[in-house]
Amino acid sequence: MSGGVRLEFDDLAKRFDLRVVFRAVSGAAEPGEVLAITGPNGSGKSTLLTILCGLLRATRGTVRYLLSDGGAEIPRELWRKQLGIVAPSMSLYENLDALENLRFLALVRGMRQSEARCRECLESVGLDPARSTIVRGFSTGMHQRLKIAQAILHDPPVLFLDEPGSNLDPAGQDWLEELVADQREHGKTVVLATNDRREMEWGTRRVALPG
Amino acid sequence: MWRFLAEAGAVFTKDLRTEFRTRVALNALGLFAITTLAAVSYTIGPYRIAENDRPFLLAALLWIVIFFAAMAGLDRTFVKEEDTHTAPLLRLSAEPLVVWAGKLLFNFVLLDVLMAILVPLYMVLMGFRVASTAGFLLVLVAGGYTLAVTTTMVAAIIARAMTRGALFSVLSLPLLLPLLIFLIQGTRAAVEGSAEGISDSLRAVVSLGGVMTVVSVVLFPVVWNE
Repeated sequence: MSGGVRLEFDDLAKRFDLRVVFRAVSGAAEPGEVLAITGPNGSGKSTLLTILCGLLRATRGTVRYLLSDGGAEIPRELWRKQLGIVAPSMSLYENLDALENLRFLALVRGMRQSEARCRECLESVGLDPARSTIVRGFSTGMHQRLKIAQAILHDPPVLFLDEPGSNLDPAGQDWLEELVADQREHGKTVVLATNDRREMEWGTRRVALPG
Repeated sequence: MWRFLAEAGAVFTKDLRTEFRTRVALNALGLFAITTLAAVSYTIGPYRIAENDRPFLLAALLWIVIFFAAMAGLDRTFVKEEDTHTAPLLRLSAEPLVVWAGKLLFNFVLLDVLMAILVPLYMVLMGFRVASTAGFLLVLVAGGYTLAVTTTMVAAIIARAMTRGALFSVLSLPLLLPLLIFLIQGTRAAVEGSAEGISDSLRAVVSLGGVMTVVSVVLFPVVWNE
């Protein structure tokens, strides 16, 4: 993909049975921007991210991904190729090692000659020395780093980060800040759901969900 | 096509690798198969069935053992992706039909491994002999595929449901009952060496397998993504 991808969502609402999670939520993010989604616990930040990724249908409203060069809309069935996601509700395979996890995801994402890219991603998150360690034996911080590695593995134009700094030590949080800045520089669209004041500062746009 | 096969192969290899490291499905299948086989051979054995009844009864008992062992282990394939929260990432990373084909291949291989161990044991313990070995092998392979394709689709449906345990059996039974009947008839024909009987049963089993394959290809992306 040569250009970036613009994300637009308009009048989104989500209801589970009788419980309304949120309603009338709109926003947009251009390539090179960080959209910070904030709100108290239970306000639906993670649910909104899941809807934006296409893993969950909204009760009302629209989500659109548009190519920045030309503005053509990307069909829903092709969204997944444009996205990388880090979320607490998504796990990696605990009985595979770090490199096996990335190799598998690279293969099913249609990446060829992916070995070097997998090693590069593990190196960038500081997990190369632990590449042959079964993920079950990882600390929570290492888990989080591996999740970030899989999200950037296919170099997606849109990156979703749900509470990305949770479980990271101060050095890891500094590294994460650099990663987000690097993604912005390379024209990626970053969507961040967080309650962390430091992470909120990274946002160039903000959508605040009411509690 | 090659790309599809490579991606489905990756899903299959991943499942095989995790299965050999945990052995959850293998243990469930193996334990159920061996327990049922031991119970059947202890209570009935090779000599307590009248000679005339042997082809039909031994064929029926063989498929009952295989069927119930399959029910014990094959439902895990999608449930474990949901339970371990790996399903969302798999949904975002792989094409639905790639996931389906990889899981189907895994279930088919698992069932073939089960049959490769179970059938020779059954033949020894129950004194089970077939007149047409080639016909019998064809019935086993076709039956294994149809059993795998049906249970894979049902496993995908129940993985999204709340009451999984009961639902697997309830949904599987009406789909697998006709298959079971054709497989028993085919195995009986192989015991008796009736080429016509084998051919009739194989035609029915392959048709059922074909129908379930088409239904799965159409239905699976909806079940998996919604």
